[in-house]
Amino acid sequence: MTDTQMDVDQFRAEARAWITSNLERRPAGADAEARGVRTDEEIVAARALQRRLFDAGFAGITYPAEYGGRGLTAAHERAFREESADFVMPDFGAVGGVTVGPIGRSLLEHGSPEFLQWHIPRILSGETIWCQFYSEPEAGSDLAGIRTRATRDGDQWLLNGSKIWSTGAFHANWAMCLARTDWDAPKHRGLTWFAVPTNAPGLTIRPITQINGTAEFCEEFLDEVVVTDADIIGEVNHGWSVTQTMLVYERGAGESGVSLMEPRELAPDLVELARRGGRTDDPAIRQAIARAHVADYAQFHLGARIAARLRSASTPDPAVAAYSKLARGVYTPLRARAAIEIGGSDALTWPEGDDAGQRPAIDYLNGRIVSIAAGSNEMQRNGIGERVLGLPREPSFDSSIPFNEVLRKSRGWNGRVG
Amino acid sequence: MDTDASADQRELLDVSRRFMENSCPLRAVRDGVWRDGSFAASYRRQGAELGWFSMFVPESLGGGSISGNGALDAALIAYHRGRGLQPGSFVGTNVVAAALAAAGSDELRAAVLPALISGEASASWAATSSGGGGRVENGVHATSRADGSFELHGKKAAVQDIDPSTWLLVTCGTADGPMQSLVPADAAGVSVTPLASLDLTRRFAEVAFDGVHVPATAVVGEPGTCGALIERQRAIACTLIAAEMVGAMDQDFETTVQYAKDRIAFGRPIGSFQGLKHQLADTSLALEMSKAIAVAAARTVGTDGDEHGPQAASMAKAFVSEAGIDLVQTCFQVYGGIGYTWEHDQHLFLRRITMDAGLFGDGAWHREHLCQLAGL
Repeated sequence: MTDTQMDVDQFRAEARAWITSNLERRPAGADAEARGVRTDEEIVAARALQRRLFDAGFAGITYPAEYGGRGLTAAHERAFREESADFVMPDFGAVGGVTVGPIGRSLLEHGSPEFLQWHIPRILSGETIWCQFYSEPEAGSDLAGIRTRATRDGDQWLLNGSKIWSTGAFHANWAMCLARTDWDAPKHRGLTWFAVPTNAPGLTIRPITQINGTAEFCEEFLDEVVVTDADIIGEVNHGWSVTQTMLVYERGAGESGVSLMEPRELAPDLVELARRGGRTDDPAIRQAIARAHVADYAQFHLGARIAARLRSASTPDPAVAAYSKLARGVYTPLRARAAIEIGGSDALTWPEGDDAGQRPAIDYLNGRIVSIAAGSNEMQRNGIGERVLGLPREPSFDSSIPFNEVLRKSRGWNGRVG
Repeated sequence: MDTDASADQRELLDVSRRFMENSCPLRAVRDGVWRDGSFAASYRRQGAELGWFSMFVPESLGGGSISGNGALDAALIAYHRGRGLQPGSFVGTNVVAAALAAAGSDELRAAVLPALISGEASASWAATSSGGGGRVENGVHATSRADGSFELHGKKAAVQDIDPSTWLLVTCGTADGPMQSLVPADAAGVSVTPLASLDLTRRFAEVAFDGVHVPATAVVGEPGTCGALIERQRAIACTLIAAEMVGAMDQDFETTVQYAKDRIAFGRPIGSFQGLKHQLADTSLALEMSKAIAVAAARTVGTDGDEHGPQAASMAKAFVSEAGIDLVQTCFQVYGGIGYTWEHDQHLFLRRITMDAGLFGDGAWHREHLCQLAGL
């Protein structure tokens, strides 16, 4: 299939034939799920459906054929997504996107062939779900400052430390875990990635209750968790290059932008809010609606532009992906705030149990996830400023001395260089 | 600006870019050589040879474009015009050519289109009236005569680059709704009063119409039935102005970033301070979004039969107008005192971009227009 690449139209026809005779249509009016987290039953159903896609050759359309994918292009994947838009598809919630997005892509680039032969088919068939052990209570945006420790113990490794903000870890079978393997090296040069089974002895996973009352993220405690050399992703102490790959996808540079379709209709959710409150004649409200719509449209086309730039580059640059991430980080909270202003009391109060009614409030509470997670807006600004525009770096106090010393020196920090 | 431009498009652009750099570099723009009538005519004719004024006219009427999407080709030229703050009625001539091709009488097309395409004459859309905004029929009123001709009364403001050979497309009100007609700038009853303007790279004038006679053959859009035509003209004007703005923004931003690397304060290049770096990163994001939205508008406007053109163009104009002013203000701040000197080019960009932001409707006007287009 990879040698003689199938024509997109031909693939589309094949996909349509299979979809219409094998998948259920989505119930009319069933909107995208606002919750990022799924129940255990929903995950079981998603796994079964994913298995059927996999068996039919429609899982991992852009993944290499030797690992169970289809080896086709992003255009084929887009065609499949368009054909399947009105049908019930496997829905793992946010953790599903994480598995085949940042994690799957990073594994493909840095995993050994043996590693990939074992893991990728299991991911594509829905057998395994992955989560991210990246951030820690004391290191988020400063990811290279993590303190979870991996220590050599004979022919295996012992992991100790704590992780946080792992999306849907309670559904995951494996985690991609960043740990420090050399404390005498500078911060970026002593890091290693490990694949960790979530049922490993010594690993505790706890959900975190968020400000919106749900629990999509987890925190983890690793206490002498055993992993082996076969679980290493990339090379020992060279984990930062894997991180660079991961961040490109983490920042939404791939096909997964805010919206898959060009937003042509004037912000329907905001118009609906204004209608409900009888405020469509208010010039300030009309300005707010149109402003949000224009920003949606500009963001969509920015996403397409950045994706094209990344495709044409020989090595994807996370700093270019930073544009998409920063756009979402800036505009998502603004849009959520606009909805609150447009809806007025209808956005602030709603009938008990009214999922649609609470949407503006939930969006408002969640609006800052994207401006903080996966590198805060400020990190993206540094990335754009220094790596794209070429502006000189800030003086660095921690990048060229052993990480051991960083922690010690930071306690007496006085702002003096040298 | 367009990351997907074809080899043919790039070649055309390269030739146009070299022509602009050689014939009218920024120094010449600053010195106002374009105010000289013979320079302006020669510049226009050379641009015309590069296809600048044929892109919105179908081949059957003597026009044509490289890629088949005239709006996109024109927007790419406009981008480079913006980079060099190029003078002349590029936007206006193209808007008028498009209107004539779409709705001019055979007689009018035969008389005017070849001259516009060859650069022998220029054209300008007399759309703006006192107070500005996008209500293009305001300011001038037409009354009909028994023989089917019309008479124009009133005033238009900020009409661009008029010389005696210019054709004016006058959009005006009638008792039956808006109409348009094509009037020579030297017609009886037309008086052109040059205005001083914030922008130093183009000329603007107030145009008064005192009983100007318009024969029926000069009508380009009948009273009450030319709403769609006006929308199309506005879409073309806004798309090209947005593209010119993006070019000017890109150029101003590049030199500002370089300045932030070169200028030393407190023992460091000022661009190393997060206080400036983050402003420049935000500006860079707004600039990339401006490029993306301007190209999207051009692609959409240039696609025949696409009903989404007016929306796409209004979105581009709304976004780029505000991003443009934000950008020149930020660049000014990064430059500090040097940006306040006449000698430095920054103020030329500040002036031009701020002027463009207000032409054919500012951000707020286009946001309201988008609501109306959506039936809200």
